[in-house]
Amino acid sequence: MQHLMFVSSQPTAPPELCHVQPTTAQRVLCYHCGDTCREEHLVHDEKDFCCQGCRAVYGLLQESGLCDYYAISDQPGVKEKADVTELRPELFDIPEVRDRLVEYSEDGITRVTLNIPQMHCSSCIWLLENLQRVEPAIIRSRVRFSEKELSITFREERFSLRALVELLRRIGYAPLLNRPQDKAARRGAGVPRMLYVKLGIAAFAFGNIMLFSFPEYLGADVSDRTLLRGFQFLSLAFSIPVLLFSSQEFFTSAWAGIRTRQVNIDQPIALGILALFARSTADVLLETGPGYFDSLAGLVFFLLVGRWYQAYTYQALSFDRTLADFLPLVVIRKRGEVEEAVGVGDLVQGDHIVVRDQELVPVDSVLRAGIGNIDNSFITGEPLPVRRAVGDTLRAGGRQRGAAIELEVLRPFEQSHLKRLWEEHAATSAQRRPAMPRMIDAVARRFTVAVMLIAVAAGIYWAGRDADMVWPVVTAVLIVACPCALALSMPFAYGHTMRLLGRRGVFLRDAEVVERMAHVNAVVFDKTGTLTAREAFELRFIGSALTADEEQRLRSLARNSAHPLSAVLYQGLKGEVSDAVEVEETAGKGIEGTVRGLAVRIGAAEFCGGTKLHMEQGEAQVHVAVGGVYRGCFAVHKRARSGMHAAVQGMRGMAHTHLLTGDTHVDADVSAVFDAQAMHTGCSPTDKSAFIQQLQGGGDRVMMVGDGLNDAGALALSDVGMTVSETSAALTPASDAILDARSIDRLPQALRLTRAARRVVIMSLGLSLMYNVVGVSYAVSGHLTPLIAAILMPLSSVTVVGFVTLATTWSARRLWANDRS
Amino acid sequence: MNVIFLLIAASTVVAVLFLAAFTWAVRSGQFDDDRSPGVRILGDAKPAPTTAPHTTTNPNA
Repeated sequence: MQHLMFVSSQPTAPPELCHVQPTTAQRVLCYHCGDTCREEHLVHDEKDFCCQGCRAVYGLLQESGLCDYYAISDQPGVKEKADVTELRPELFDIPEVRDRLVEYSEDGITRVTLNIPQMHCSSCIWLLENLQRVEPAIIRSRVRFSEKELSITFREERFSLRALVELLRRIGYAPLLNRPQDKAARRGAGVPRMLYVKLGIAAFAFGNIMLFSFPEYLGADVSDRTLLRGFQFLSLAFSIPVLLFSSQEFFTSAWAGIRTRQVNIDQPIALGILALFARSTADVLLETGPGYFDSLAGLVFFLLVGRWYQAYTYQALSFDRTLADFLPLVVIRKRGEVEEAVGVGDLVQGDHIVVRDQELVPVDSVLRAGIGNIDNSFITGEPLPVRRAVGDTLRAGGRQRGAAIELEVLRPFEQSHLKRLWEEHAATSAQRRPAMPRMIDAVARRFTVAVMLIAVAAGIYWAGRDADMVWPVVTAVLIVACPCALALSMPFAYGHTMRLLGRRGVFLRDAEVVERMAHVNAVVFDKTGTLTAREAFELRFIGSALTADEEQRLRSLARNSAHPLSAVLYQGLKGEVSDAVEVEETAGKGIEGTVRGLAVRIGAAEFCGGTKLHMEQGEAQVHVAVGGVYRGCFAVHKRARSGMHAAVQGMRGMAHTHLLTGDTHVDADVSAVFDAQAMHTGCSPTDKSAFIQQLQGGGDRVMMVGDGLNDAGALALSDVGMTVSETSAALTPASDAILDARSIDRLPQALRLTRAARRVVIMSLGLSLMYNVVGVSYAVSGHLTPLIAAILMPLSSVTVVGFVTLATTWSARRLWANDRS
Repeated sequence: MNVIFLLIAASTVVAVLFLAAFTWAVRSGQFDDDRSPGVRILGDAKPAPTTAPHTTTNPNA
């Protein structure tokens, strides 16, 4: 995969280029970031680097003696990408931004907490915590990995916040401008502390009560009744905090279900806990038996382990985003010759603003000065920049690539196209996708009813024969029917599936998404940015073939330009680079220069003396002239992702596939894998949402795979919305799942795995029901001794958890038997 | 036989103390992040190399 690099901000060391003999068997990986290096790449310190950026980071770390970074994990680095570096460090000088990040500032010592999405491995933690070796003004830096946060204490009089941000950016860990402020926004990140306390108390009670119960179970010398009574009362005392504190959430959830008149799995559990405690307390007080306190503590302990696992597998990814996460908070307003920073919300019609290279256009506006090269990939996924001239209207959300432009605000942010698109998306998310019945709810409903019926029937039966047996039998039924294993099977099966998928580049929001994915029978793909790569292009030359010598000259000149199309040319052409002199770049026209004595021009048709050609949509043209002679034109078009065929064709037999695109034309390589009637071109965002609803109306469960903001509505409406992302920090709309673009070919297997997980859950339900039947048969006949309960309960929980974990792991192994990882 | 009551009482007190220690550990945030502390110890042993010119300016760093 090719990446376009813009490293203009890097210190320009002379590049040490070398030719590595192409060895077909061995790919050369970048020592810093692990990407495959091109044949011709940088070599420094006998190590291979894919680009100047990676080499520069290595140089910085080496200078500070931090090369352990590379020893902890292989190729830990994060490649600096143009997308990610939209962040402007000067924004951190603005008081409002600073106030939001600074936690403490006194006597020139400041502590800030920054959110760093690129943090991903042990090396990252190590480097970020050793920043004081790079910059002595940093006193202490601490990582909270689960929340991807970095707290830094530093001497602000010697090192500004802005400089800190610039340093982080330089080593590839650009912080986000916004940090989730309230706890609610960070819900699910990590395990709540209270859960650990509850778990600890339950485990403490479980262990100790079990020890207290051994003399009774083992039939030890019972001549000393005082000792046994003492143990019974101690057990009672230990189980009180378990009942009142550790099992709180089961009671709240059960009560919430009763109030909304819904049966849920926590109701039989709460009933079981109450029955256990009531029966055991009565047994101890009335001296009718030792009680079931160990089963009570064990039950709560196992259930809490299930809750803990659920919280633990929750992905620390930001799935919920607001528009503010995408937009620059502050823009540069120009009044006369004075430039000042103002908030986006404060812009009014007629204001003049300046948008520089790589910045987003914040509001709908008219171009007043400069040449717009607008990349709309955030909105549509389309990466090739569109040319805009003075007087043209620009919509909010496009990114300028090239020299700074001056815009006149057409309408305030509140009325902009982007805001409307976003609100439409927010509205559709609120509209809710069609509800999907959760398997656990259906099972819980039947289960609860069955338990109630059995308890009542057993009670009535014994009332006719032996009234003294009614209380013990009814409580025993409620105790043994407590669906502990049932409640554990789903969090463990789905939670483990999430982890298995996460290892393969598919990140789900929570365990419920696994079940929804298992039901999917129609998959809708967006084309641009989803099936076609954002930054991989193909070149086609129109004109008489170029000689190797000409290619070499063009390539040498293209290297001098930061324009994205020049970078495509530089990467697509062959030849050893030589120096270009008298290089001059004219914004909006092209670049000219002299390479080995010949004048070379790359750029627009008129600039090179050619005529503008008619191109297919989504294609760009770059004209070239060598030695003053027009040579022809390169057509640049996006390449489909290499895993695209596998992704779409692998769905056969599992789900229908559809293609939606805003373009009017579908490239041949993409259209080859879809049925003709399954391709829908010219779709607006509203059309996409409508199409999803139409499929759902026909009874399909739809998974939407998209990327841009124009897919956001469809993503929110579909049963499973999945966004494709190339970097962990890329701008993606809210969704249920994030798919690493490199793993797109694994999508069919991912879908298969969720289906397998659902089958595993059904089997485990059968297994746990079997235990319940055995237990209930003891209970109704009045033979449920505390010992049997104490064996049955942990045995069923452990076997069910073990079964689902092994079965899902085995399914994943089988599905990815021939996979690369 | 009475000594066993003393032993049970003593062991229960010890167990409760451990529970209290665990609760304190959770509340002080020791279970919040199970990844970074393990990595943290990897770097501490090595002193900063003297070749880097500016690392000596602040001995507290």
